[in-house]
Amino acid sequence: MSDIYILCVEDEPEVLDVVVRDLADLEDVFPIEMAVSAEEAREIIQEMKERGDKLGLAICDHVMPGEKGVELLIDMQNDEFTRRTRKLLLTGQAGLEDTVEALNKAKLNRYIAKPWDPAELLQIAIDELTTFVIEHEKDLLRYMGVLDIKRIQEVIREKGSFSDS
Amino acid sequence: MPTNRRRRGKSKSAFPKWTKTAVGLGLGIIGFCIPLLFTFTGLSFAGHLALGIFLMAAVFWMFEPIPIYSTSMLVIFLQIVLLSTQGPLFQGSQLPETFAEPVGEQTWSLPAEAVDGDQIFLKKSPTRSEELSIEVIERNDQVIFFSTEITAETPVVAQYKHKLVQYEPVSYTRFFNTLASPIIILFLGGFMLAAGAVKYNLDKNLTNVLLKPFGTKPMFIVLGLMLVTAVLSAFMSNTATTAMMMTVAIPIAMQVAKEDKFRIMLALCIPIAANIGGMATPIGTPPNAIVISALNQQGLGIAFGSWMALMVPLALLLLLLAWGTMRVIFPPTVDSFKLALKSSFDKSYKAIMLYAIFGLTVLLWVTEAQHGIPSGMIAFLPIAGLTVTSVLSKDDVRSLPWEVLWLVAGGIALGISMENTGLAIWLVSSISWEMLPQFMLLLVFGFVALMLSNFLSNTVTATLLIPLAISMGTAGIGGEGFNLIITSLLIGSACNMAMLLPISTPPNAIAMSTGFIKTADMVKVGIVIGIFGLLTALTMALIYWPFLI
Repeated sequence: MSDIYILCVEDEPEVLDVVVRDLADLEDVFPIEMAVSAEEAREIIQEMKERGDKLGLAICDHVMPGEKGVELLIDMQNDEFTRRTRKLLLTGQAGLEDTVEALNKAKLNRYIAKPWDPAELLQIAIDELTTFVIEHEKDLLRYMGVLDIKRIQEVIREKGSFSDS
Repeated sequence: MPTNRRRRGKSKSAFPKWTKTAVGLGLGIIGFCIPLLFTFTGLSFAGHLALGIFLMAAVFWMFEPIPIYSTSMLVIFLQIVLLSTQGPLFQGSQLPETFAEPVGEQTWSLPAEAVDGDQIFLKKSPTRSEELSIEVIERNDQVIFFSTEITAETPVVAQYKHKLVQYEPVSYTRFFNTLASPIIILFLGGFMLAAGAVKYNLDKNLTNVLLKPFGTKPMFIVLGLMLVTAVLSAFMSNTATTAMMMTVAIPIAMQVAKEDKFRIMLALCIPIAANIGGMATPIGTPPNAIVISALNQQGLGIAFGSWMALMVPLALLLLLLAWGTMRVIFPPTVDSFKLALKSSFDKSYKAIMLYAIFGLTVLLWVTEAQHGIPSGMIAFLPIAGLTVTSVLSKDDVRSLPWEVLWLVAGGIALGISMENTGLAIWLVSSISWEMLPQFMLLLVFGFVALMLSNFLSNTVTATLLIPLAISMGTAGIGGEGFNLIITSLLIGSACNMAMLLPISTPPNAIAMSTGFIKTADMVKVGIVIGIFGLLTALTMALIYWPFLI
């Protein structure tokens, strides 16, 4: 069975560690990948694609040496494999123009300004992943324990995903 | 290059998924082949074929290399190919005919291949034979025997091993008809009502109204949740009810401290009540369909209301048993609890049509015995009514759980062949049941059903066991006091009492994946319900049911 990954892209290793720590509750179900640059992120995404896994959520910094976060997100939006990935920009320095571009071209799902509240980041990740699994996964039970149980139950009820046997 | 990269590898299972599929498929095919390779005495040729289908289906249903409903489809496919009049094996086939030669006063001679031990088969029609016991005097190439029941003009089957002996093939339409049998239509009607209830939030609003009188005490809230769940699950599928009730129970559970056992109880009480509630009406859960259709085939009908009169008391006792057990195992520490219950009934034209059709259908079902219109016929009221009024759209009709109907239809079809090929009788006649007192026989059947059903689908368990019980009744090997209806009802209810493990029923799986409960919690309550529930059902079967049947 394929796994749904979370990918965190952030050029400062200390900040990256903090992001991953904030999302630790999700890690048992959604393995977390870390990249320190957009280029490395692309490699990781390529590997996921080859393994047949999925990328559920990308949390991306904007200002990084080399390629910028928004460019990465736009490319992800234009690629079939990552189009459905929930995209989150986590940044303190993206200007208005970049942000607008991210919204329009990368269909950014969320914008979080640094510094962030850890509980809020986790909640946003849960919300976005819940949306992802509801839209794209068949076996919702597997994810219910760590995600938004109420929303998932509601979908199971409405869709009648399970029947007596 | 990667400076700070890590991925925590998740441990993968030692065996890839395909091995389970391969083992299941392999065993199933072996099972299918066994009766083709070995000859079992006392079992007709068609019985061998039916045994092959039975073994394969049982293995496929247990190991699930393919989905259980597709196994049902495969069963029907094999039956029309192997066992129908029009199939290649029986098409145009006729019993070979011969006549006994008189060799003396009521003494006859027949070729050895016409005599099976101490019996011969009289040819009643080109495809139907009847056995006749004879007194063999001498056995060589020709068998000399004594019989007062034949004449020189009585057609006798020339080969006792012929495939038509002891089996009269039925038309392939008989197997297809299972999918449109009254009980399947009854379920379809129930599915459509449930789909409508979900679409217009009738289920949720009813729940909120019904829960209000249960106040703020945790134990009463749980009792309320259980009763409401059971009532809804009697008319909707257990699984749909669980999914809906979970949306009510989870917000409550979220407000309770993580360590509080009240949380466990909230998540656990719902699948339990849904499983139990399924027993209460014929449409509550698919195993009931297997019981009812098997009884119908024996000419025994159970009206909707009579079923409820038999089963509702049992369901109530089981609910109280489960409630009491959980109260002891998971005592709540909170004193009182405030429920935010807001109901807002949809008042659109379509919603009101749904309420009217829902109410009328349930009313007519429950009063079946009074007005005499069969419940399967009444089921067409919602089927036609909800689509005519466009309460349900094309998409809603498409998303009904059709595969459940196939699952049940395959089960009913398998039962037909187990019965008319003599397989069921052959399977049960190896044990001398007459030795067992009646309650022991019920206990054995109930216990086997309970055990199997914890690991297999409830419907599949009923499918495998009910034909055996039915054949004991028809063959008269059930011993004194054997009652077909009571035995079948007991097996059916035992199938529904299996709730030991997350895999036992889909409602259990849903509750488990909330993460609020551990398997151990479920097992504890499951054991109590299994054992005491079975004993309760047995008591009902011995002292209450006989009064109503």
